[in-house]
Amino acid sequence: MSNDQTPSDKFVFPRWANYLLPLIVIAGAGGGAITPAIVGLGFSAETLNVGYAPEQPVPYSHALHVGELGLDCRYCHTTVEDASFAAIPPTQTCMNCHTGIRSDSTRLQEVFKSNETGEPVPWVKVHDLPDYVYFNHSAHVNKGVSCVSCHGRVDKMVVVHQAEPLSMGWCLDCHREPEKHLRPVDKVTDLAWKPKQEPDETPEAAQLRVGLHQKELLMIHDEAYMTSCSTCHR
Amino acid sequence: MPQVNEKSTGSVYWRSLEEYSADPKVSELLKEEFAGYDPDDVLSVSRRRFVQLMAASMSLAGLTLAGCRRWPEEKLAPFASRPAGHTPGVPTHYASMIERGGIANGVLVSSFDGRPIKVEGNPLHPGSLGAADAYTQASVLQMYDPYRLREITKGKDDGDGSHPSWNDFMAVADEQGKAMRAEPGSYAILSQPSSSPSLARMKSGLLAAFPGVKWYEYEPINRDNEIQGAINAFGKPVRAQYHLDKAEVIVCFDSDLLGSHPNQVRHARDWAKGRKSADEGRMSRLYAAESTMSITGSVADHRLPTRSEKVGALVQAVAQKLSLMNGNASLNGASAFVETLVKDLNGHKGKSLVVAGANQPAEVHALCWAINDALGNIGKTVNVTDEPEVVGGSGGGCFRDIAELSSEIEAGRVKHVLILGGNPAYDAPVDVDFAGKLAKLDSAIHLTEYRNETSRLCEWQLPMAHYLECWGDGRAWDGTLSIQQPLILPIARKGAESKSPIELIAMMLGEKATDGYTIVRQTFGQLLPTASFEKSWRKALNEGLVEGSAFKPSNARPKPAGQLDAPRLAEEKDFELTFHADPGVYDGRYADNGWLQELPGPLTKMTWDNAALMNIADAKKLGVKQGDLVTITVDGKTLEIVAYLLPGQAAGSIALALGYGRTAAGPVGTDVGFNTYSIRTSQRPGIAREATVAATGKKYELALTQNHYLIDGIGESLTRTRVGDKSESGLIIKEASFDEYQKNPDFVHKGAHGDFRLQLWDPPYKTEQKHPDAPEAFNHPHAWGMTIDMNACIGCNACVVACQAENNIPVVGKEQVGMSREMHWLRIDRYFKTTEDDTDAQRPEVVHQPMMCQQCENAPCEQVCPVAATVHDAEGLNVMVYNRCIGTRYCSNNCPYKVRRFNYFDFHSRNPRGTGINGIQAKPWIPSDPLKAFPDQQQEYSIDKIKRMVFNPDVTMRMRGVMEKCSFCIQRIKRQTIDAKNRWSRGEREKETVDDGSIVTACQQSCPTQAIVFGDLNDAKSHVTESQKNPRSYSVLEVLNTRPRTKYLAKLRNPNTALAGKPNGGSHNNETHSPPGHPAPGSTPAAHEGAHT
Repeated sequence: MSNDQTPSDKFVFPRWANYLLPLIVIAGAGGGAITPAIVGLGFSAETLNVGYAPEQPVPYSHALHVGELGLDCRYCHTTVEDASFAAIPPTQTCMNCHTGIRSDSTRLQEVFKSNETGEPVPWVKVHDLPDYVYFNHSAHVNKGVSCVSCHGRVDKMVVVHQAEPLSMGWCLDCHREPEKHLRPVDKVTDLAWKPKQEPDETPEAAQLRVGLHQKELLMIHDEAYMTSCSTCHR
Repeated sequence: MPQVNEKSTGSVYWRSLEEYSADPKVSELLKEEFAGYDPDDVLSVSRRRFVQLMAASMSLAGLTLAGCRRWPEEKLAPFASRPAGHTPGVPTHYASMIERGGIANGVLVSSFDGRPIKVEGNPLHPGSLGAADAYTQASVLQMYDPYRLREITKGKDDGDGSHPSWNDFMAVADEQGKAMRAEPGSYAILSQPSSSPSLARMKSGLLAAFPGVKWYEYEPINRDNEIQGAINAFGKPVRAQYHLDKAEVIVCFDSDLLGSHPNQVRHARDWAKGRKSADEGRMSRLYAAESTMSITGSVADHRLPTRSEKVGALVQAVAQKLSLMNGNASLNGASAFVETLVKDLNGHKGKSLVVAGANQPAEVHALCWAINDALGNIGKTVNVTDEPEVVGGSGGGCFRDIAELSSEIEAGRVKHVLILGGNPAYDAPVDVDFAGKLAKLDSAIHLTEYRNETSRLCEWQLPMAHYLECWGDGRAWDGTLSIQQPLILPIARKGAESKSPIELIAMMLGEKATDGYTIVRQTFGQLLPTASFEKSWRKALNEGLVEGSAFKPSNARPKPAGQLDAPRLAEEKDFELTFHADPGVYDGRYADNGWLQELPGPLTKMTWDNAALMNIADAKKLGVKQGDLVTITVDGKTLEIVAYLLPGQAAGSIALALGYGRTAAGPVGTDVGFNTYSIRTSQRPGIAREATVAATGKKYELALTQNHYLIDGIGESLTRTRVGDKSESGLIIKEASFDEYQKNPDFVHKGAHGDFRLQLWDPPYKTEQKHPDAPEAFNHPHAWGMTIDMNACIGCNACVVACQAENNIPVVGKEQVGMSREMHWLRIDRYFKTTEDDTDAQRPEVVHQPMMCQQCENAPCEQVCPVAATVHDAEGLNVMVYNRCIGTRYCSNNCPYKVRRFNYFDFHSRNPRGTGINGIQAKPWIPSDPLKAFPDQQQEYSIDKIKRMVFNPDVTMRMRGVMEKCSFCIQRIKRQTIDAKNRWSRGEREKETVDDGSIVTACQQSCPTQAIVFGDLNDAKSHVTESQKNPRSYSVLEVLNTRPRTKYLAKLRNPNTALAGKPNGGSHNNETHSPPGHPAPGSTPAAHEGAHT
């Protein structure tokens, strides 16, 4: 190989390539902004989960049963105060009423079938946490966290949907400042409950007053405990 | 070969011969936690292929993530009709029992939504008192073994592929019934020894309905010698009920009372009482004379390594010295041991105990009875009770039974055999050739849990129900009637469901009631008072036992020693072989149980294998090294097996564990280890004599964990000084003699430097100290702590399996264990300690130290985690957040205790026997539908649906690439704290914090000696606070100021001052123990005679 060629002679950018530079800068900056935007918004729990309303095998309407007929949450979700799961009611619970009421409804066929065969009704899980999160219903409802805080106004839902993001940041908001959400334990299943406002009190201030009282009364753990990893992860 | 490191002075502790001989391999392991890690080797793919795979995965990931989808849909399946009293998600506990070797033991089984997931001891049961051994706890894994027989099959070998139902089988059985009547004596039944009253009832029903049917019993590990010994001494079979808590001097002659004895759990509890009372100024003393190091020998105050065949002479000498027999046997170097022992026995009449082991001949057992009687121990430290009567059979024990059955078949008299459980074709003595006999039969039917070696030689294989699937009953060691209730319906094909032996016999008898429940209930109808039957039955069912049904102690007295046959003393020639139950697979029945296969042996720390345990000096002379294959020849039979050099093994004796070398055990257990049954004869099933051993020059890879996770102090320089004894303050192990402890109770703090309460900075999570001894930080509202009493720990492995079952810990397989990747969160470090003059580790002392996350307040792991995946919580737990972990392994590197485990693979989805990535035989995790290819679904797709049922839903399943470690059973903590506070907020409780003792960790729960205590250090009165105030309490590696929440209580030994300086009984003249031509190592008895006095 001869030595008369320097490496730079081998390849020289043509002059027009200079115009590419501003384009690259613009594209780079734009890309830098758009990627986080897409990832941040596209993958957020808000986008992915809120509003999730799968079709259920039986078109059970909470709006009818809770909102209109006034069933208490615990009529069906009996274990909510004692167990980590707020158990889905057994078919038998449905049959308490539906042996007599609408016993010929086509929409209830799955329920009647289950009652006959003993096979469960295959409900679809709406509020689904990752498997490394251990949420305990009893620990919350016994301390004055209302159903509505996480599940929204189920009493107004014809089809149950996920009302809150159920993300870690969302959980921590409350674990840091539970007083913003606590209420008397006997009002936990009263989804429409609002703290009674004193004169000259904003709704927020009323909630804080009630919440702080509840926090003290029920010895709600402090922030250090509530934000410890082991509180939710094992 | 082993030589004490020059650097060392005085006594040293060591875990392995490599460490003992300062092998550079050990320094390598100290430097690098996972030594020998070569990524190329592990991946077994080329770099190019790896990049290709990565590119494919990335694009696949892009494809699925771009869909912005929610995670997969999950279904909720509520009961159609929820059973009363059942709360979904809250485990329920049922009392039941497990029978092994004809002894029932009480268990409490946790059922989670209908799945039994954890077997623990029944606190009410006298044989358990809440603890359970490793076998019992691991039995639940077997229940979900996908390779268990789940239907009726037909045909020899691999079967004819048909799927018969019970109706098909019963048609054949009826034919056979006619044949039975037509030709009495042509039909035989072979069962395993059982204490079940229902089986006895079925059996007598059968024998009455079909006269001439012969019933035999066989199990390879049995109590033949012991029962025959009792017959020699009493003229009838009786059973010894030992009360180790009442005995101040306990002598074990080749007996593993605390380890492999059927009543081990209870013995260990009672023995520990006599050890823990050291804090009150009393401590029992344990002597052991044995050939191989057993659990009992490892915790003995004086241990004499001696050939098993020589133990008879020792017992005879003891009887002679106690003037119970005439003569003056020569003691061949054990005289100091025997004389001191006899003096101690004489000084503790009525408070001593002499026990012979299962391998010892009947004469030795009888003599021990006579000695106990002469010492006034009967009725005090040992009670005589009845032995349940054996119906049918030869009346001469298991080995006689199987030999008689074989000769009946050989003679053509027996033509049809029904085998209830067991695996005689594999585990019968080799001279009986039971497999060959099966071929001569007209028909053979096997009721079996697995399609094993025996089933493959039978025409019919009937699925036998696991004990968690069927009703049954039995009697505990002390005779307490126990009830076995199922927790789940048999996992089997419909129409061919698994049956228990009682159900099968009831069917064959044509009984009206053929379901287990009715049979057991009817049996108890005869055993319980009829007037209040329903009430007592329900109570018995609830408690799992019938209160007060234990055998009553009898006034029977053994014949005096002079009237008994003297033990036959044969000349010691060549090597003796002793056969033992394996601490993992027992007699082979647990071979397909990964938990037990991977359980490191208590003394050998060997996984996935059995070996010939040899004396080090013997091995030296034969030119055999650890891991060499040797051939053992005895009675014309030869076995090639790997040699393991065990410190403390008696010269001239080789110990062989049974239960390996299975050929049809299922994918986990087949072809693991060496079949030692192949040289076990019915004439000498316990101790075989005159064996010769030869080196083959071949090597074999053993997976030993003894060098894994070495605690390296603060650097390699501390390897030798990191542990110490009374002369120097050790950093890891502290121990003293009972006398020294009496004189100087504060011995553990001797040589401690500085006040470790001082802190460089203010710790976070600090609230007001609850009492002067309470933690100052990480203390609200509770402050969790643990204490481990090394004085009580016997190294039995119960805690290791308990932890594995509770915390969904995977089995990794032999190859991965070889790479230091076993996942046990809790390991038991077994240290040997030898004196300088003991060149070949002939007389080691042993320390067992359970080691798991110490929950340091100043945790070194937390300081190096780049993503804060391991942090402290407010109550002092060092928590591991799996979903944050990115797998740098810095934490493990920085952990001084080496208690962190890394998931190199998704071990749960792998075949534990698989090799490398290409060897994975489990289903590929990427399903056909790429849209379902989320990593979080890997386990769902790849783990067998039945196998998956054993997992504890309260504990996260860890993925590959994630660190994990002991969490102090946080799931149990949370269950109790949440429940306590809930009930407090509803006004059902006084305080919002938990009661002491309500939280029991899995290891603590299972510990037979109650060596582990867990609780709240904020509670001044809690058990754990009390125990941490014990003067023996210390932190491991205290100088590092990690401030562990787990403390250890120093070990105490109670040596007899008359044998001082000779820790193991002064057997210095080993010559006579050695085989001729193999002179014992040159020991210098005078050199340390009287040392330390």
